[in-house]
Amino acid sequence: MPKLTIDGRTVEVAAGTNLIEAARAAGIEIPFFCYHPYLTVVGQCRICMVEIQGQPRLAVACATPAAEGMVVKSETSERAREAREAVMEFLLANHPLDCPVCDQAGECLLQDHSMEEQRATFTTHMTETRRTFPGYESRLIGPHVIQNQNRCIHCSRCIRFTQEISETSALTYKSRSNSTFIDTFDGKPFEDPMSGCAADVCPVGALTVRGFRFRKRAWKLRSTPSICPGCSIGCNIFIEHHERVVYRFSPRENPGVNATWLCDYGRFLAESLNEQAYLHPQRRVSGQLARATWGEVFPALSTELKAARSLRVVASANLSNEELYLARELFGRHLKGEIVVPVFPGEPRRMKNGKREWLTSTDAHPNSHGARRLGMATVDGEGLVRFLRGAAGTTVILDPSAHPSLASEEALQALGRGPLVAFARAKHPVADLAGWLLPTPSLASNEGTFVSSTGSVQRFAPAFAPPGTVHRTATGAMSPTCPTIASPWGPPGEARPLWVVLSSLAREMGVATLDLSSPADIFALMARTEESFAGVDWEELGVQREQRSYRERQHVG
Amino acid sequence: MSTRPLVAARPETIAEVTFDATLEERIVDLLRRYPTRRAAILPVLWLCQERYGWISPGVIRAVAQRLGESPAFVEGVVSFYTMYYTRPPARYVLQVCTTLSCAYCGGKELVEHLKGRLGISFGEKTPDGEFQLIGVQCLGACGGAPVVQINDDYFEQLDIKRLDGLLDELTGRR
Ligand code: SF4
Ligand code: FES
Ligand code: FES
Repeated sequence: MPKLTIDGRTVEVAAGTNLIEAARAAGIEIPFFCYHPYLTVVGQCRICMVEIQGQPRLAVACATPAAEGMVVKSETSERAREAREAVMEFLLANHPLDCPVCDQAGECLLQDHSMEEQRATFTTHMTETRRTFPGYESRLIGPHVIQNQNRCIHCSRCIRFTQEISETSALTYKSRSNSTFIDTFDGKPFEDPMSGCAADVCPVGALTVRGFRFRKRAWKLRSTPSICPGCSIGCNIFIEHHERVVYRFSPRENPGVNATWLCDYGRFLAESLNEQAYLHPQRRVSGQLARATWGEVFPALSTELKAARSLRVVASANLSNEELYLARELFGRHLKGEIVVPVFPGEPRRMKNGKREWLTSTDAHPNSHGARRLGMATVDGEGLVRFLRGAAGTTVILDPSAHPSLASEEALQALGRGPLVAFARAKHPVADLAGWLLPTPSLASNEGTFVSSTGSVQRFAPAFAPPGTVHRTATGAMSPTCPTIASPWGPPGEARPLWVVLSSLAREMGVATLDLSSPADIFALMARTEESFAGVDWEELGVQREQRSYRERQHVG
Repeated sequence: MSTRPLVAARPETIAEVTFDATLEERIVDLLRRYPTRRAAILPVLWLCQERYGWISPGVIRAVAQRLGESPAFVEGVVSFYTMYYTRPPARYVLQVCTTLSCAYCGGKELVEHLKGRLGISFGEKTPDGEFQLIGVQCLGACGGAPVVQINDDYFEQLDIKRLDGLLDELTGRR
């Protein structure tokens, strides 16, 4: 454990830690462009120069391991400052400086460094005109990534990402010296299951994500820590949103799961969170769905459920542990219903953790492992249909997206035979059969925990209140894949997270133990009563604060 | 004059490449002399250029496959060096030195003359595919300035008359 001094502050760090990380631990930011905590260190941009006492030459902090007794000067070194200024002069000599029209602005390492460290002062000895790459200013390099070669600072992060992390080795430098540019083999499309990350690691606006470009300025976005709903791996994400609209997912650092990566599939689920097809509770009256209030729902529904001849509940591996637990206790234990959790295998997905090991998904749900941990019975598609065909009686569907076969002919036919209560967000055919149709919001308006396939309990935080009004796409929605978009105006909507509805029903039915007012309380109860969650503490499940996105993303660039 | 013309494979014929036994044998021989397969990229590419006349995407794919690299990486290497041809070269590639010593000793005039006579400028090929003109930096033969390299041979202390003689000879050979 070497102990060293950086700008007068003493820190002790693990052996092998480089000076950038050591300085970070001491609360000092050494600027960097080519360094990335999860990529090989190449030391090629030279912006991280520091002065080390006793060494005649300046050293690059990213490639210098901390050593016992080292005395490092970063901000306090005149020589280091001069060297960095020279590096900036070289980098900016050919940079278009088009920040006002660059989508990276606000989360650009080059911009930040030139504004903060250099106080936007800038001198140049150049008399030549800028080098440009005609035809490469806005080139679709792959399905999701747009390249502007003029802005590239040749840090090679994107190349190293494809070589070391996604292992496609799809990107490369071509040509040399002043004409060096980023390209794929033979100009083929940049096909990479994690192509969005190449744009993430690009410190400047040379690679940007096509779907997000020009939708929202980075500094307007708020970032709420959450978990990717795409598969059982449970990558840590930020839901980045503004005025109740989700604009993108970005990776949130977790060395044990996704380091700082996300697969394209998960990343581009972001917009699907904006869909809110059902806005208020509805009840079928003489064949027609009619608007109801939650105040009417609870007493009527609890009477109906208590009177049900038999009760079958389709839960979902997309629900949080808290919701699954409440469902199990309320429907299973108190109402003596039968409850299953359908699990859909989905496409195989994989993710690299911070140790560069591949993690593979077991299914297409964020919380199948939580359901199993709660001892709930899981079924596949066939099993689900068989379950629905069982004895007639009331059926409750907690999440129609639990399994694709819920939309199948057989399932719908079976569901049509008896009373049906459905909770839903996105448009689904079960809504046409439901006697009660209760709106639930997306992940962005819910709070709780999922269990990842590696077995860790991970918390997600609510980003905003459920949207109250939605527009159709034509009026400025994000993309054709998102049919509706929330309105930033007007009061919040009436969709309620499932845990809220279930605990209200519990109160209505007089089950006082389940009448809980927050996911934290439900979790605490689980931790007390469930062996599989014993000893897990809600508060210790990670920092769940909202962050200014561009600040937070600095670290991953 | 002993300069032999370059023979460039037609693009269709090397869109997909499998190394034959002779080439494979030479590659194996080369690999013995390098610590890693990656280190042998340059000489293996040379072998290929010798065989096919130029490095097509198909050749790049084959080399990448053989050496366990990604095609993008190998293409990056190829594009770094100007001496690998990524397009079929002409039969005679004239590399004219444009650096100081040669420029002073009449190189500039040679360049003007060549451009006029062939009707092409640097980087171009004559329409009949006979000649290609490339401006290069110091060929390392300043003592013989001005210098023109034709395919693999150096021609030193040239003047317009001698150069014309050379070109006439090459043209006449056809
Ligand atoms: S495109 Fe971006 S990540 Fe890639 S080398 Fe250029 S600046 Fe670096
Ligand atoms: S960050 Fe150290 S040289 Fe680029
Ligand atoms: S300057 Fe022409 S060979 Fe050196």
